[in-house]
Amino acid sequence: MSLSKLWTIAYRDLGRNRRRSIFTLLAVALGLALLMVMNGFIAGIMEDSLQNSIRLRTGHVQIRADSYEEETLSLQAKDLLTDPDALAARASALPEVQAAAPVVWASGILDTLDDSAGLQIYGIDTASPIYAPIRSALVGGTFLTPDDRNGILIGKSLADSMGIAVGQKVNLAIVNSDGRPDEGIFTIRGLFATGIPNYDQGAALMTLSKAQAFTGTTRHASAIFILLHNRDDSAKVAAALRSPDVSVLTWSDLNQVFVQAFQTSMSFYTILDFIVMLIVAVIIANTLLMSVFERIREMGILAALGMKGRQILQMFLLEAASLCVAGIVLGVALGSAGVGYLATAGFSIGDKMATVGGSSFALGTTLYARFVPGTFAVLALVLLLIVLLASLYPAWYAARLEPVEALRAE
Amino acid sequence: MEAIQLEHVSKVYHIGAVETQALNDVSLSIAVGEFTALVGPSGSGKTTLLQLIGCLDKPDRGAVNFQGRDVTRLSANQRADLRRERIGFIFQFFALVPVLTAYENVELPLLLSGVKPTERRERVKQLLDAVGVANRADHRPNQMSGQQQRVAIARALAPRPVLVLADEPTANLDTANGQQAMEIMQRLNQETGTAFVFATHDPRVVSFAQRVVKMRDGRIDDNGAPGVN
Repeated sequence: MSLSKLWTIAYRDLGRNRRRSIFTLLAVALGLALLMVMNGFIAGIMEDSLQNSIRLRTGHVQIRADSYEEETLSLQAKDLLTDPDALAARASALPEVQAAAPVVWASGILDTLDDSAGLQIYGIDTASPIYAPIRSALVGGTFLTPDDRNGILIGKSLADSMGIAVGQKVNLAIVNSDGRPDEGIFTIRGLFATGIPNYDQGAALMTLSKAQAFTGTTRHASAIFILLHNRDDSAKVAAALRSPDVSVLTWSDLNQVFVQAFQTSMSFYTILDFIVMLIVAVIIANTLLMSVFERIREMGILAALGMKGRQILQMFLLEAASLCVAGIVLGVALGSAGVGYLATAGFSIGDKMATVGGSSFALGTTLYARFVPGTFAVLALVLLLIVLLASLYPAWYAARLEPVEALRAE
Repeated sequence: MEAIQLEHVSKVYHIGAVETQALNDVSLSIAVGEFTALVGPSGSGKTTLLQLIGCLDKPDRGAVNFQGRDVTRLSANQRADLRRERIGFIFQFFALVPVLTAYENVELPLLLSGVKPTERRERVKQLLDAVGVANRADHRPNQMSGQQQRVAIARALAPRPVLVLADEPTANLDTANGQQAMEIMQRLNQETGTAFVFATHDPRVVSFAQRVVKMRDGRIDDNGAPGVN
């Protein structure tokens, strides 16, 4: 007997108890939609957070002195790069590199008469396209020019919390490269709002030359900050730049805490995915089992007509597969709508929640979902597979019924 | 020529701790083309005997030979093949597949046997015509009443079986439909040479039979064959 005729019977059987079939189909559809929204959301959060971190904090690749310690933002000469311009030029010459520039990092305290805040000072090459995201995030004042000797940029949220306005003078205190405290008066040249609270509340940008002069690290740099055209080239670029006395780190080294947290959360999500899939599978198996029990005598008749157990098994599996595939189609539509909504409107979590993860997580105040077609396809296929596996028992039960027993059923 | 031969067949059912001797040392032969009634009170073993003749079940003791093949040695799949090719069934409760139309129900055994589409169409139309429901070909069972059993008769005959077994075929029909069903079966028996064996209580149905096998308490009282008792 052809599979198409078995499918016809299976398909029409689904229409016998329409309400039950529709509810089961909805269970599959809602299950898949939930899986898509969950996975699209976590993928969006993780990818956005990673991109924010790369764009603002780490870049794709960094060159540092071997002894440099990120935790202390060391300014001692032995921990810094001695010829940063040559290293940046060497990196820029690689075709995979979009931009490379030296940077000086220091920790500092911003003081006004009324308030103070700890922050990280970034001494930057203001002409570099690396800082295009800050330029476009400016919400007040102007960007730094290369010859700006006392201007700084800070985040608008920090400025607001401290009551600071563009043009205002502020005091910045640091511990310089000799280990001695130092301070300087700076003018707020501009305010930025990147949407990443950790950055907007904790970063102050000044020109590289000013930072070098201010911290006493003349001609030295904490690192070469490198952006690539494609982040997948980071290992290749790192290998090309490797040389004695410097360490070359890729974005995955630089975001290790984040990458580990991402992997942990993905494991957690995989467990959640399986729980949702198992619930859907149990619902389908239950529907099919009820359907088998209602049709035991019919199975006897089909067996009397010469239908083999294998064909009865196929018929029930086709019934389950039809229901599941229809549910998957509806689920993809519902899930896409959900992911589409969360990808455009997003989900607002506010400033405080966005900083919960600390500086390792560059979370925005609004989290967005993302379409991950590969993941969605795998989820749909695994769901279909699990449903078919769960349907094996009812189908097998129907297939192994003795014709005589089945015909005797009420 | 014998269609089926049962020799010293016994069958015991175990329901919980209770043992029921459904058949006790029964021997019976059905010849090709016979129109035979199995009669007897409820519990006399008619249905069990039909199930053994129909290769739906195996006896605990004795032999069942279907056209010379020992059915008791066949696997479940081989018995399914035998039923599909050689035996038709008509049940008291009509037993049509509810999601299929009359046409599709008659076509089903032919699909199972792999009969080619052109021949399939021809045979189904001819049979629906022969049982007088050609005009209801597209109707599903729940859209037909007394005519369901006619569709079941057409389905039983579709694979051109050697033998058709009918268990109380008129029990759920009114007098007129019951009479018509028996007339159709009798006519098709004569036209096709297919043997019919039907279990019944109904004396009006028995009057159609060429041979009447009487059963009681799992034994054959009278096997109805001339000169044999």
